[in-house]
Amino acid sequence: MSFEDWYRQDRLPHIFCAGCGNGTIINCTLAAIEQMAWKKEETVFVSGIGCSSRAPGYIAADSLHTTHGRAIAFATGVKLANPDLNVVVFTGDGDLAAIGGNHFIHGCRRNIDLTVVCMNNQIYGMTGGQGSPTTPRGCISSTTPYGCAETPFDLCELAIASGANYVSRWTSYHVKELEKSVLAGLQTPGFSFIEALVQCPTAFGRRNKFKQVSDQVDYLRTHTMLKAKRDRLLDQGQHIPPDMYIVGELARRNRPALGVK
Amino acid sequence: MKLAIDETRCKGCNLCTKVCPYKIFKEGKKANRRGIIIPELDRPERCSNCRLMHLYGRTLCGVCQLICPDQAIHWVEEQPYEPQKVAIEY
Repeated sequence: MSFEDWYRQDRLPHIFCAGCGNGTIINCTLAAIEQMAWKKEETVFVSGIGCSSRAPGYIAADSLHTTHGRAIAFATGVKLANPDLNVVVFTGDGDLAAIGGNHFIHGCRRNIDLTVVCMNNQIYGMTGGQGSPTTPRGCISSTTPYGCAETPFDLCELAIASGANYVSRWTSYHVKELEKSVLAGLQTPGFSFIEALVQCPTAFGRRNKFKQVSDQVDYLRTHTMLKAKRDRLLDQGQHIPPDMYIVGELARRNRPALGVK
Repeated sequence: MKLAIDETRCKGCNLCTKVCPYKIFKEGKKANRRGIIIPELDRPERCSNCRLMHLYGRTLCGVCQLICPDQAIHWVEEQPYEPQKVAIEY
């Protein structure tokens, strides 16, 4: 049995654009769930609104497609009503950081036994490419035509500061690492947050000088730095380029958790 | 086992050409009936997963299958007594 069996074959091919990284993230998440040997009847996928939140529609398990930004709030209800269920939340950056920001912070604070996979494409892809709270400085979107002037959110730092038990960040290029990271998140009791940076060729890439899908994947590959290397460079007092994304396992701790069976 | 691309699902993003350690996937040249240029397979018998999947009982590399956003790459069983090409690597 492979992760392919978790897909609803009658719904494929999905509606994501050619080259969209969301399918990659669903593959990695399902491969990790497959290794956990969970039953389909005991697994619930919750999502909000957005490109990334269409993911549970393609998975042959119970799912909850909720209002914008409220995925973690609904998932909290599911988990507390029946702690025997395994709850996985798919969410995007606009869903989690903008509209659902407070739910996210309080989910981390309560430390509920959820696994949140955030597909961060740094833009509102579905609604036409508006700037989101994670759009990097200087990037062009339809609401920031002269370059984004705001400082983006660092979602992982936010989750660490709010008290999540497991926090990691990977990109859609690092598939094997992402799979292991999601697996570690599923095994950790308490709130686990995995941020996956994905490419968005339609809304983000073609406005920001990434003509091909592979250009943006190359950018994700070359502009990531492992946390261990970052710490080593900091110890040596060397300069870290400001546009680097720090990837790897950023936090793993054992705070008291809610809703663990 | 042999490598196969599902033409009904592939959207031609060419991400598989970036990740394969053997460079088995090549960018295609001709558009298919739906107007999508599907990657070509360059000597797919070199794929380590095809040869060793049954022996080890698990997926060995599988990066192309994981990174394919459209779930188009998979391995299929060969027919009995299907002629096979053998690639010798130096």
